[in-house]
Amino acid sequence: MKITLSINLGGYSFNIDEDAYAELKRYLKNLEIHFAEEESSAEILSDIESRMAELFRAKLTSYKQVITIEDVNNAISVLGAPEDISNNESTSARDKFSTPGYHRMYRDPDHRMIGGVCSGMGAYWNMDPWIVRLIFVVVTMLGGLGLLVYLILYIVLPEAKTTAQKIEMKGEPVNIQNIKDSVKKEFNTVRKNMNL
Amino acid sequence: MDLENTKAQMRKGILEYCILSILSRSSCYASDIIKELKDAKVIVVEGTLYPLLTRQKNAGLLSYRWEESPQGPPRKYYELTKEGKEYLADLDESWNELVESVNLIRTR
Repeated sequence: MKITLSINLGGYSFNIDEDAYAELKRYLKNLEIHFAEEESSAEILSDIESRMAELFRAKLTSYKQVITIEDVNNAISVLGAPEDISNNESTSARDKFSTPGYHRMYRDPDHRMIGGVCSGMGAYWNMDPWIVRLIFVVVTMLGGLGLLVYLILYIVLPEAKTTAQKIEMKGEPVNIQNIKDSVKKEFNTVRKNMNL
Repeated sequence: MDLENTKAQMRKGILEYCILSILSRSSCYASDIIKELKDAKVIVVEGTLYPLLTRQKNAGLLSYRWEESPQGPPRKYYELTKEGKEYLADLDESWNELVESVNLIRTR
């Protein structure tokens, strides 16, 4: 069971899953930031919303009445990520329109020992996760506070699941090139592990 | 050199010209334009079209009117202005020159 929301997109009314709504909102927000410097940004956005509504309409039948996260992701791939909708003719467009380098703390599932808190903190501050682990162990031995902090951080920090989040965790600007590099790196690691 | 990037730059250069050419035949709404551009494989992601349309409209090359649609809310129909037609005629000429130049070099 899922909660659905009712939205007005481009003059049409849609029922949309909660997760799909969050993704759609994030995408439209990113576009808004992307076009912020454009003279008629509101008009461009409303045109894109209208097109989005058309794409959604094509997905609905009498048996399928709710917009799902797949529909949203599909529409986004058709319309293009903000980085791909580059409106600048210069070759530097890619660098210029990358999302500003968010730097956020995540739990790092790739290098975790327990929950990925220490490895995430290590990635965030760009230091060896074993130093963070050592600090936690010492603080825990000094009265158990370390364990409590660890638990709180485990609950509060989200896990870095997507490639974009893993880049954010390290504080590099999130753009197509970085994601490509990062995916390539991951692919090579897998290949090495499988001895291909 | 990044091949995909070079290709994208080439496509981007002619996209503006293609939009005006499509509109020179008849007034269209954005989704009609997208369909033609996609069939001709000059556009990869649809979102690229909208900032271009708005910019061409702001430059006075295009104008639009709202038209009732049989299903759903009214649609924006774009058409070339007098200025747009002149602009397109200029581009037609320079496109022909470009094709000639490239052919000359390639067949030498």
